[in-house]
Amino acid sequence: MNLIPWKHKSASEPLRTSTALASLRSDMDRLFDAFVREPFGALESSFRDFGAWSPAVDLAETDTEYTVRAELPGLAPEDLEVSVTENQLVLSGEKKETTEQNEKGYYHSESRYGSFRRNIPLPGAVDSTKVDAEYRNGVLTIHLAKSPQNASKRIEVKVKKS
Amino acid sequence: MTDQEKVALENASPCEQTRSGPCYRPNVDILEKDDELIVMADVPGAVAEKVDVDFADGVLSVHAPVDESRQTDRKYLVQEFGIGDYCRSFRVSEQIDPSRITAECRDGVLRLHLPKSEAVKPRKIAVEAH
Repeated sequence: MNLIPWKHKSASEPLRTSTALASLRSDMDRLFDAFVREPFGALESSFRDFGAWSPAVDLAETDTEYTVRAELPGLAPEDLEVSVTENQLVLSGEKKETTEQNEKGYYHSESRYGSFRRNIPLPGAVDSTKVDAEYRNGVLTIHLAKSPQNASKRIEVKVKKS
Repeated sequence: MTDQEKVALENASPCEQTRSGPCYRPNVDILEKDDELIVMADVPGAVAEKVDVDFADGVLSVHAPVDESRQTDRKYLVQEFGIGDYCRSFRVSEQIDPSRITAECRDGVLRLHLPKSEAVKPRKIAVEAH
């Protein structure tokens, strides 16, 4: 081996040669991290689809909009699809391997390739006509305007007396 | 400091940093071809013009600064990635010709081409029949 990935503390860790094992491992890490951060959060929502790869996402809100940022390095903008319904954002696409990646075996692989789909439930309704998305330096940023009636929506619950 | 940042610090390679804050270790793919090694590092958010690739004492260091930080005017509901510079170092043997290393950065992926030195390139030797 003439190029050794330098590892600071985990020097004894073997190279991850198997992509399947590496993906299982990253899923386990992610599950474990999620559990440590929010022990029962995973039970409440399937925010992240496990199994296939899916990009890391930030979701932030201001008074007027939601902002979603997703890390999607190495994608062509035409391979990306963003769709919005009133309360859900769906990111899908495919990260393609280059031809040279297909023709020769990997020496070492940590990146994930293939198609992905990620449903992001939005906490409130958005105006699906006022959405703009921008892809720059491998980061996708989407601004979604909150719909005006979002804040004042309130449903009365009638209790029937038996 | 969030859990994510702690992990990032633990994974950080000890290359010089010009800024404080967490430094992340990018995922890399390494491909071997007959005449070169190709290193592809995922550095989403890094600005191509500011990426620094340095070769000294047999160690190739990559430092990709990210010019963004979390916006303070909004409330974060979900945070799955940390924002910070990317750093990673590789030990390179003499089989690589350091003078011909090239790098390009596009769409958040940094590609390094490490040409093999002439001495180790595979070559065919013609057998003469008498």
